[in-house]
Amino acid sequence: MSDASSARLVEAVGRRTFLKVLGSAGSAIGLTACAVPPERIIPYVIPPENEVPGVATRYATVCRECPSGCGMVVRTREGRAVKVEGNPEHPVNRGSLCIRGQASLQGLYNPDRIQEPQERRVTNAASDQSVLAPITWNNAQETLLNKILSLKQQGRSDRIALVTPSITGSLDRLFDSWAKTIGIHHHLRYEPFAYEAIRTANHLNFGQSVLPHYDFSKPRLLISFGADFLETWISNVGYARDFAQMKNARSNHQAKFVHIEPRLSMTAANADEWLSVEPESEILVALAMTHTILRKRIFQDITSVTADAIFEIVREYSPETVTNRTSIPARKIEELATLFSDPSMGPGTSLAIGGGTATSGNNATATQIALNLLNYVSGNIGRTVTFDHKSNETHANTYKDTLNLVEAMQARLIDLLILHDVNPLFTLPEATGFSAGLSKIPFVVSLSSFPDETTARSDLILPVHTPLESWGDHESRGAIRGLMQPVMQSIFNTKHVGDILLEVIRELGEEEAAAFPSRTFDAYLKNEWRNLHEQLTPESDFQTFWADALRRGGFWQKTQSQVVDLNLDSLPTSLALVNEEEDTDNRPFVLMPYPSLHHYDGRGANKPWLQEIADPMMKVAWDSWAELHPDTCKRLNAEEGQLLTIESPHGRLDASILENKHLRPGVIAIPIGQGHTRYGRYAEGRGANPISLLNPIPEVQSGGLRWLSTKVSATPRPLWRKLSKTQENNQQLGRNVAQAISTTDLIGAVPEAHQEHLSMYANHEHPVHRWGMTIDLNACNGCNACIAACNAENNVPVVGPNQVALGRSMSWLRIERYFDQSDSVTDTRFVPMLCQHCDHAPCESVCPVYATYHTPEGLNAQIYNRCVGTRYCSNNCPYKVRQFNWHEAEFPEPLNLQLNPDVTVRSKGVMEKCSFCVQRIQEGKGRAKDEGRQVRDEDVVPACAQTCPAQAIVFGDLNDPHSQASRLSKDPRGYRVFDELNTRPAITYLKKVTQKRT
Amino acid sequence: MSFAKVNNDILRTLGPAGRIYWAGLILALTMLGFGGYAFYHQVRFGLGVAGYNPPVMWAIYITNFVFWVGIAHSGTLISAVLFLFRARWRTSVARVAEAMTVFAVMTAGLFPIIHLGRPWYFYWLLPYPDQRDLWINFRSPLIWDVFALGTYLTVSVLFLYLGLIPDIAIARDRVQDYRRKLYSILALGWQGTNQQWRHYNALYGFLAALATPLVISVHSVVSWDFATTILPGWHSTIFAPYFVAGAIFSGLAMVITLLIPLRRFYHLEEYITVRHFENLAKLIIVTSLIVTYAYATEYFMAWYSQNEFERSTFLDRAAGQYAPFFWTTVVCNCIVPLALFFKKIRTHLKTLFVISLLINVGMWLERYVIIISSLSHDFNPSVWPAMYQPTWVEVMITAGSMGLFFFLFLIFVKNFPLISMTEIKENTTTVTSPIVMEGSS
Repeated sequence: MSDASSARLVEAVGRRTFLKVLGSAGSAIGLTACAVPPERIIPYVIPPENEVPGVATRYATVCRECPSGCGMVVRTREGRAVKVEGNPEHPVNRGSLCIRGQASLQGLYNPDRIQEPQERRVTNAASDQSVLAPITWNNAQETLLNKILSLKQQGRSDRIALVTPSITGSLDRLFDSWAKTIGIHHHLRYEPFAYEAIRTANHLNFGQSVLPHYDFSKPRLLISFGADFLETWISNVGYARDFAQMKNARSNHQAKFVHIEPRLSMTAANADEWLSVEPESEILVALAMTHTILRKRIFQDITSVTADAIFEIVREYSPETVTNRTSIPARKIEELATLFSDPSMGPGTSLAIGGGTATSGNNATATQIALNLLNYVSGNIGRTVTFDHKSNETHANTYKDTLNLVEAMQARLIDLLILHDVNPLFTLPEATGFSAGLSKIPFVVSLSSFPDETTARSDLILPVHTPLESWGDHESRGAIRGLMQPVMQSIFNTKHVGDILLEVIRELGEEEAAAFPSRTFDAYLKNEWRNLHEQLTPESDFQTFWADALRRGGFWQKTQSQVVDLNLDSLPTSLALVNEEEDTDNRPFVLMPYPSLHHYDGRGANKPWLQEIADPMMKVAWDSWAELHPDTCKRLNAEEGQLLTIESPHGRLDASILENKHLRPGVIAIPIGQGHTRYGRYAEGRGANPISLLNPIPEVQSGGLRWLSTKVSATPRPLWRKLSKTQENNQQLGRNVAQAISTTDLIGAVPEAHQEHLSMYANHEHPVHRWGMTIDLNACNGCNACIAACNAENNVPVVGPNQVALGRSMSWLRIERYFDQSDSVTDTRFVPMLCQHCDHAPCESVCPVYATYHTPEGLNAQIYNRCVGTRYCSNNCPYKVRQFNWHEAEFPEPLNLQLNPDVTVRSKGVMEKCSFCVQRIQEGKGRAKDEGRQVRDEDVVPACAQTCPAQAIVFGDLNDPHSQASRLSKDPRGYRVFDELNTRPAITYLKKVTQKRT
Repeated sequence: MSFAKVNNDILRTLGPAGRIYWAGLILALTMLGFGGYAFYHQVRFGLGVAGYNPPVMWAIYITNFVFWVGIAHSGTLISAVLFLFRARWRTSVARVAEAMTVFAVMTAGLFPIIHLGRPWYFYWLLPYPDQRDLWINFRSPLIWDVFALGTYLTVSVLFLYLGLIPDIAIARDRVQDYRRKLYSILALGWQGTNQQWRHYNALYGFLAALATPLVISVHSVVSWDFATTILPGWHSTIFAPYFVAGAIFSGLAMVITLLIPLRRFYHLEEYITVRHFENLAKLIIVTSLIVTYAYATEYFMAWYSQNEFERSTFLDRAAGQYAPFFWTTVVCNCIVPLALFFKKIRTHLKTLFVISLLINVGMWLERYVIIISSLSHDFNPSVWPAMYQPTWVEVMITAGSMGLFFFLFLIFVKNFPLISMTEIKENTTTVTSPIVMEGSS
């Protein structure tokens, strides 16, 4: 370019123009750079001091999936929670967790969580259309504050209602004082299963309006009247542990468990004897047993005068008179009564419990009183039933209290409703009118983590932390205080509910701010614990106390039991039976909703593991159903999979029929928990919610919901909807997968000699370790916790209902459930089935590329990146425990954050299966090596064995003669599944022990 | 019959294609296209798009594999075994049978790859040296398959090609279009000299002797995919002879299925006579009886063993959810072929054609039943699934495999003589022994 031309150009552009262009171009370039958000792929340039990449950090906290409050230890890796386990030191659960606890991670990482504050904006006032739009936290809290402030200034703060679940400890006290400071009258601690009848009965009988502590480990005879204590009832994990101890076949303690209920629940399936009774007639059995005990004068620990007085009350209930109503033979009742109170065994050696929806009918309280009497005359009160601990449900409000609030809502007495983590729209019967009441409230605020039905109807949503992100504490029973700490930073733009409460109230006025000196909830909590420390152990240093409580997961002490005595006065009236005659001609069936082991009251339905793992008894996943006896089906001229319209005076629903021959013919049973219309992608549109059909009128004495008192009609529709079943065949057909031995045969039994057949191939050498496992079928109760634990530990993907229906569930562990038909008594057997790590594995010899092979430690290893996917190994596996990746696994964000970094995520087209948690074996071996010692049993515990509430699974080194697994594998009950195939499995099953039939 | 007439008649098939030929070719290509799309879909979204319901982990693809390998068997039998036995009637049908063999093996060979979870790694089944020292597991029957199929494909291609050389030379001298160049290369400079004939005959006899044991071995190896497992319904020592007989049975039926229309379209009645079909039909009777005996033996063994698993599997096969397929198999493979005992039926070509089709169906279903019903009813009763139902992907890939087979076959028909002209000429001369081991004399 010549000088002249360049001069022209400069002239043409000009200095100012040039600078303008330069400036705008520069910023334009800058903006383009802004458009691509910087990826943070190296999060730990400067890592936190205590964080070593690759080394897990564990935090103790409390499980909040149900009110029982089990202790929990959360394993985090690089700042992310990847696995939860029971806290071994916590007295409630002693190291185990149930399936719901295991799945709590999927609450934390739920992709459908509310991610930021939202406010309802009217989009079309004329047609009443509105949407929830995101707002900032400042605006959201400001809105809440202004609402409260204006009501308070108008002197109408009594028109504010607060509904929380039955939380305990500091947060409850904060809520309580918060409500009191503002002047809120309606503070409802709402819990769908609030055990009103038990509390009322104990109040009437013993002057204690509490849930007692039941000791399942001691009784020689346990009779459960409908209480599903292994599933959802009160504290299922702790009870399951005690129960396993009670029927421990290794001790000489030959305990017997009888379950009385119209339906074979999972708990009933674990009974030595299941007695199917007419619905709502359990009370008659209990009264007739008491009658028998008193008449035969085999009562214990009470005076003759008391005995005579009680006998007067139960005089009319002789076994003969109740036989017709209960359909249990008089002889059977007498026999149970004699066993129940056996003076030769001494008082307090039996236990009768009752509860669950099965006994929550018209006479729910009377049933509990009858059970109290039965326990009382047998000397169980103060021994197996003690009032030393108070259970936390004791301050939950009753269903009747909830109805009162609904009434106030209907009467437009509520101007502001504040909800926290409750979903009454789903858990209350439709006929209560909660939905209509909700519409009449001008402003509804939801402090919630999930977009459930109730939250979706709110005007303002303040998303709160899930329990795993929160500080907090929990009072499980009187003297057990669990401490919760956040295990990781919050994932979304959420806040701790306590922080919101404190921030709002401190803005309310100076007086209020002074009453709440703590600015944040963790300060509030620490303050509460400071007070606690002063009360309990003032001699020690608080910092040590606090650090110790954080490390151990709380603080607990032994408490003294209280002596209680029976109050006879109220008995005659409170035992008077109510017989509500409904229109039984048009509505011939009794509706029996029952809480689902997986979904509890419905709160678990948004967690994919809980949906994907099949129900323990019905073996159906991703759905709800209506259980009908095959005879009822025939009578209705309907078949399995057909839709059935079920109608009560209060509503109607459609559900797929599922035949269940372990159900009384007149009953239709539907699990509670499904049928969500709003609750995220995993919960919505699956089946029906049976609660909507229930009669809203509470039970007279306790004010609880009458779960079992709704009569329904049933009409099959010409429509079919297939259920995703994971087990089509319920019989063993003589194949001896689940073996049993009777108590008499067990005496003097010797370990089975394993006959090793000849093999073409040389034996494997296991020079150092030979990993093996024993599974006690007598202990296993079928609760599925191991499956969820395995899914979490091993990154097992969820495949959805259609794939599950094709049998493509990816779980490495399944529980096979068999009904043995040997005699008229139902014998249910659960068999956890996982890779048997055979010494002569049929899968190994057929793999063309050595993708599966035998390690020197006896593991049957699967090398994912070598697998080409011929699936030949699965064909040759007699146990059928290998899973194939039919599609690419999906982990919708942020569920992917849960993935265990120690385990490969498998790609489509490869086989996978149980690895005996090889990553844990490596870790355990490493630890032993670091400490310069041999590997011990506790160094390596696979996820399934770790969580098992029944401690049925034991893992260890079979080369070490002192390991527990090694000793148990030589147990007289030991057997290996399909031993005749010469696969030489590393898993020894211990036979279930069956009671001699009486 | 003059030599010129033979040349004219047989080379007439290489002439311009008619409408029916083009229609057939387009149909075959369309089927192949759909199959290709279905395979693309399967690779993209995973094997789950097929209808597998575990533990039915093998289904239609392996059925197709065994079916096509079976089809491949009669070719070698007819050309090699009958050649060694000096059954001179074979000449008219041998070329078609050999071509069918090659294309069937090629089609069959695709299925083990199609059925893989990660088909792009199929070469991991080959023993090639690599720096990671990864090696294959020679204990696995799938590796035996790789070798058996590889050997069989190599030998049968060589055998077909060798037999074609003199005929290609004739065609080279006659054809004027682009194929002249192709034939020139393929004919390898064949001039029909005495020395060339001597070499040719020596090699042909040698390959025939080499191919004969392959007839037995290849399908035995395929049957060991099943027999060496521990699965009831598969784990049986009878499988090798049973599968070989079944393979020959189905292959003969396929030869008839192909030859009857070909004969008609190309007016080869003079060369492929009813006598040829009658002979093939007689062979079908023999193999059908062997297959029937094998079925009976399986049931006898299941009963006699008193093995619970074994009995239950065979009971399920006959009375369970796959029973309709099983009984169709029995009818097609055991009952229908009995009709061929009657000369009237086996010489009536239309009936024979229908019977051959039924046998094809029966043999396909036989493999379907063996594979799927055994897998769905194994040791562990808790996992027994609902009925397996193939998806559109599997149906299309199966149709695509037929498309591929017929596409290859039609291309062959238009480009190579369907009957060995030189052998026909040999047979029409008075020389008593057409094959003299001249090299040795």
